Amino acid sequence: MSRSVKKGPYIDSKLLKKVLKQKEKGVSEFIKTWARSCTIVPEFVSHTFLVHNGKIFHKLFITDDMVGHKLGEFSLTRTFKAHGGVKKKETPHG
Amino acid sequence: MPRIAGIDIPADKRIVIGLTYVYGIGKALSQKILKALNIEENIRAKDLHEDQLSVLGAYIEKNFTIEGQLRRQEMQNIVRMKSIGCYRGMRHKLGLPVRGQRTRTNARTRKGRKKTVAGKKSVKELG
Repeated sequence: MSRSVKKGPYIDSKLLKKVLKQKEKGVSEFIKTWARSCTIVPEFVSHTFLVHNGKIFHKLFITDDMVGHKLGEFSLTRTFKAHGGVKKKETPHG
Repeated sequence: MPRIAGIDIPADKRIVIGLTYVYGIGKALSQKILKALNIEENIRAKDLHEDQLSVLGAYIEKNFTIEGQLRRQEMQNIVRMKSIGCYRGMRHKLGLPVRGQRTRTNARTRKGRKKTVAGKKSVKELG
């Protein structure tokens, strides 16, 4: 089910505060964050985040196109290392 | 055969159904349109007045995205998602279901025809 429009988008307030602080100072440093569910708002554009995926932090530079998505959408939590292509020699089973 | 909104030609079906032949108009929207224009749903498309047809066409083109334009919009959305590298874009790239469906079984529409894998449990059981 999608989120009620009445509430507006979910934005992690601490994260937004951090971004605004950087804006004020005019610096743009990496912001480490675990707030994967936080919606990307226009204020985030051209900042770089390190988004946690449960194990590591993925570097994510925010562009205009990403507004409206959530941070977690860009930091995959699963690893998939392709199925073996051609069948290898069959190993004898007991 | 009457033409509505450019290229589309509904047959001698009821107009509610006829409108759904336009890409981007389903039954619900079709009903809504006819209600807004005060046109009886059950009239056959061929029995509609010329001016009724033109009003319909104009109304649809003015208010809704249909046909080629809609298709283009959809494509652009997908291209956008692929280019920003979000999860949905990835799924489109991989040709896997995008909306969280299971892939252990099924998902054949996205994955295409079955590729049998030797040594997989279900195959062994059969052999």
